[in-house]
Amino acid sequence: MKTTSILIIEDDSWLAEQFVRVLSKFGYKTVVTSSAATAINAVDDNHIDVIILDILLKGSTAFSLLHELQSYEDTGVIPVVLCTNLVQELTIENLRPYGVKQILDKSKMVPDDLATAVQDVLP
Amino acid sequence: MDGPLTDGLPSIIIAANELKSPLTLIRQLSLTLEGVDSLVDDQKRMLHQISLTSERALRLASDLTRSVRLTDALFTLEPINPQQLCEDIVQELTPLFTAHGRGFRLMPRKHSLLLVANRDLLRRIIMNFSDNALNYVDRDTAVEIQIKAINAGKTIRLGVRDFGPVLSCGVFENIQNNLPKATTTVHDRPQSSGLGIYIASQFADAMNGRIGVTRHRDGSTFYVDLQASQQLTLI
Repeated sequence: MKTTSILIIEDDSWLAEQFVRVLSKFGYKTVVTSSAATAINAVDDNHIDVIILDILLKGSTAFSLLHELQSYEDTGVIPVVLCTNLVQELTIENLRPYGVKQILDKSKMVPDDLATAVQDVLP
Repeated sequence: MDGPLTDGLPSIIIAANELKSPLTLIRQLSLTLEGVDSLVDDQKRMLHQISLTSERALRLASDLTRSVRLTDALFTLEPINPQQLCEDIVQELTPLFTAHGRGFRLMPRKHSLLLVANRDLLRRIIMNFSDNALNYVDRDTAVEIQIKAINAGKTIRLGVRDFGPVLSCGVFENIQNNLPKATTTVHDRPQSSGLGIYIASQFADAMNGRIGVTRHRDGSTFYVDLQASQQLTLI
């Protein structure tokens, strides 16, 4: 059985490491990248099942990546979990058309919430 | 944080959002370590304190961004049952109070009241008052949230009552005079900048309410007055 692969796009390397720690505990394979620009390559090079995405990244924001993901048939179906401190500014209704299935509030979530979110959004 | 989202934002919002990132990391790491079985009790206690402290700091950072955006924010005023809202706050903050050796409770009411407010802003006001009380209240005593109707039922007052050292007249006057407009040290407490109270006053203003403080012989009550909802009278 194929191991579920999670792409973590997070520019805080220690927080990304923490996410890897949590997801590995639940048996998920993880790939980490720190920018939207490198994320597309990471999606192409790995068979990604779920994307964990921070909003404020170095360079272009998560929104440009979401647009790009939606522009291809194969990447547009990958479920995205936004993991951000900007929850106040976002609504899931506005982001659903961009493949966003869940929004996690970084400032309130407990570590295992990440794994629960992945489990919830998997097809 | 170099993305276009920061363009044109007040520097305090950028600073507050920047502050959230390291606090988030600290909280996530300490929460993870709290779950390690091999830790001794004192280590677990310290980690729990780190988690709770980072949560308090995150709340303050979040309030800062909210307060700056009050002028352009689209927030709605709606009828709210303050009892339910305060029950949720008590549930959320009880671990923090317990860790500090303090109690936290909502005084029961026989009859429901409805007020007109923005749920998020009102919640933040009560959280700020509670945080303030936590710093001030004597150990092994409790902080109480009280809800009552005043002004012939036209106004609902939500108060956070602490039981601590008596406010001196000078300090009380200073707080009374400065509550709505300035950040002043509250209660002569070095650990309080009054920032939380200042933010609370801004939130209250935005809902056409006001905050105030009542001095007791054994502590004080910080309160917010808001317009009562007419919905109940229409039923």
